[in-house]
Amino acid sequence: MDSMLAFARGPLFRFSLAIMLLGLARILILDLWSAFEAYRRAGDRILPWRVMIGRSLGWLVPIKRVFSNRPIYSIFSILFHIGLIIVPIFLFAHIELWKSAVGISWPALPYKWALWLTVTTIICALALLIGRTISRTSSFLSRKQDFLWPVILLIPFVTGFFCAHVNISPAVYRLLMLIHVFSADLIFLLIPFTKIAHCVIMPLSQFIATLAWKFPPDTDEKICVTLNKKGDPV
Amino acid sequence: MKTSRISSEERARAFKSARKQEVNERQKLNVRYHVEDFDINDRPRRFLETFAAILKHTNYRMALEHFIRMSAKCSRCAVTCQVYQATNDLKDIPCYRSELLLSVYRRHFTVGGLIKGRLMGNDYLTDEKIQEMAENFWNCTACRRCSMECPSGIDHGLITHLGRFILSEIGIAPRALVVSTREQLEGATGNTSAIPVPAMIDTLDFLEEDMLEEKGVAIKFPRDVEGADYVFFPAVSDFLMEAETLMGIAAVFTAAGDSWTIGTGYFDGINYGLFYSDRILERVVKKIDSETRRLKGKNVLIGECGHASRSAKYFLPTYCGGKGAYPVINIMEYTHKIWKEGRLKLDPNVVTEKVAYHDPCNIARQRWIIDKPREILKAFCRNYVEMTPTGENNICCGGGGGTVSIDEIRSYRTTIGGRLKADQIRRSGCKILVAPCANCKKQLRELVEDQKIDCEVVGLHDLIYKAIIFDDKLKIKDKAKDHEVVEE
Repeated sequence: MDSMLAFARGPLFRFSLAIMLLGLARILILDLWSAFEAYRRAGDRILPWRVMIGRSLGWLVPIKRVFSNRPIYSIFSILFHIGLIIVPIFLFAHIELWKSAVGISWPALPYKWALWLTVTTIICALALLIGRTISRTSSFLSRKQDFLWPVILLIPFVTGFFCAHVNISPAVYRLLMLIHVFSADLIFLLIPFTKIAHCVIMPLSQFIATLAWKFPPDTDEKICVTLNKKGDPV
Repeated sequence: MKTSRISSEERARAFKSARKQEVNERQKLNVRYHVEDFDINDRPRRFLETFAAILKHTNYRMALEHFIRMSAKCSRCAVTCQVYQATNDLKDIPCYRSELLLSVYRRHFTVGGLIKGRLMGNDYLTDEKIQEMAENFWNCTACRRCSMECPSGIDHGLITHLGRFILSEIGIAPRALVVSTREQLEGATGNTSAIPVPAMIDTLDFLEEDMLEEKGVAIKFPRDVEGADYVFFPAVSDFLMEAETLMGIAAVFTAAGDSWTIGTGYFDGINYGLFYSDRILERVVKKIDSETRRLKGKNVLIGECGHASRSAKYFLPTYCGGKGAYPVINIMEYTHKIWKEGRLKLDPNVVTEKVAYHDPCNIARQRWIIDKPREILKAFCRNYVEMTPTGENNICCGGGGGTVSIDEIRSYRTTIGGRLKADQIRRSGCKILVAPCANCKKQLRELVEDQKIDCEVVGLHDLIYKAIIFDDKLKIKDKAKDHEVVEE
């Protein structure tokens, strides 16, 4: 078990991290490139930068949005995202892992903060999962991955919580730690291929939605030719 | 903001189809709007070919790629959609509507979808799915309020627009829009209301005489004036249905003394392309450009019409020269400017009823014009009230996205599309509702009639015409009296 844990913490972790980073970089570059191409082709390149930046910031820090629509869901969602971002990066044990894997480190989160943030994230994940299941509209729209992701994300948080904050026997600890590290590796591997890719392209959303209305000129003629409709009446 | 659910009786009335069963069978299509006969064979293949051609020559792929990665299925949009709020039908949730087209894109135009399709052998586009899109995309009022609430930034209005565009290329588009557009682009009259130029000129002559009698001022509709500052393109239906709006606009120009003109070569601001086809959008915009060029005008001035304003403002630069395109101004911007400069005087004692302002989606959603008409109204309407939500978060009249021109779905528009708006109007208690948009005006008039709300729907310039005060030097004092004598 120890060798498996060492493998999951070492080579597999580095491999998963590399896949995640490369995958996300690919998505980000593709998004930026297609946006650049669209901008280059657009007949009108005047963009409402102030509106786009304002709306982007409004969604990246969605404080004002909390009470405008589905407030309970929004609060859980925001807290969940805060926990998801901060705990894996700023937990003391994780920083040690980062240090051994990629050779860099940074200040850690105080123990109590880490505890409460972990608990909050677990509660929020459960609440979001329950909310998605019982909400008529959300459950109707949801795909398999929408239900699976809160569960997958819960695994490292719950196992991590038991390993770090609960007195358990060494055997159970090792088993939970193995699940913890393997599930984290799995998450890293899945991120670029699922909706979690929004973690890097979300800041571009408002920009792309606005740019999408900036059409290229002379598309009438080109589409007509391609579809062999030239000269056809309206 | 929630609305009451519709009763089963209202539902039956709203969803009653005007189409005959034999037409549904002949066209293999079951929708509520009339569609001209089209090639019914091989629809999925033709749909995909069209989709591919559009993706090749446009920027839609960028947005679709982004949207399929971003979609979180949170259903926040359901809360803001006035159609879903009224029907409570899950298939009316904007995110579901978008998924209809996004799933086709994912399956047929992404590597993952193609591989999955090969391996699993399912999800190929079917006639049933095209049928669902044809029905669902035209339930939407294209107000784009849902897009404001999407954390993922998915513009459901854009996807609906693209879906309608593809469908129209395979022959599925509301007949009302297609026939009007055909007349505008290929017909003898060259406008959507099929008004011949002599009839338009007669109307203007008649209105000029009317205004002289009423105001004692020679208010003119200048025609084909070369080099005018503003070349005017109203929604052409205003010549038939909104005479007071046109008179108000002419009165404002007379008070200001600026040069403007109506071109007899082309005088229609309506652009149904914004609702269902980029090809139509481009061709209509180019007509506006070419008429302005013919008259050597300096600015394109659009009348009280939301979609006409948006299509000209945002697509004239797209199709007609980018930064070098003619500046596009909505009439409310012009009127606000001259009012601010003190060139427009309004009598605060004329309009005493409770007045509210309705934001047309195509003008307010992008925060283009929100405060200006309100400032003018508050200056002379003593009893002005605000409806909430408003501005960029406004509630659509219920006839947006071209649906107002489809007469056969009136009961749907006034029972479902405009249900939330009707609640809002009732709550405001306004007796006069100002809607500076030809589409909104038609829809709101039908809405207040069908929902039995005691409220008059007018344009901004209808009220301005009532309240305008002209300088004495403009008045031809005896002229009006002379007229009366002659008529007697």
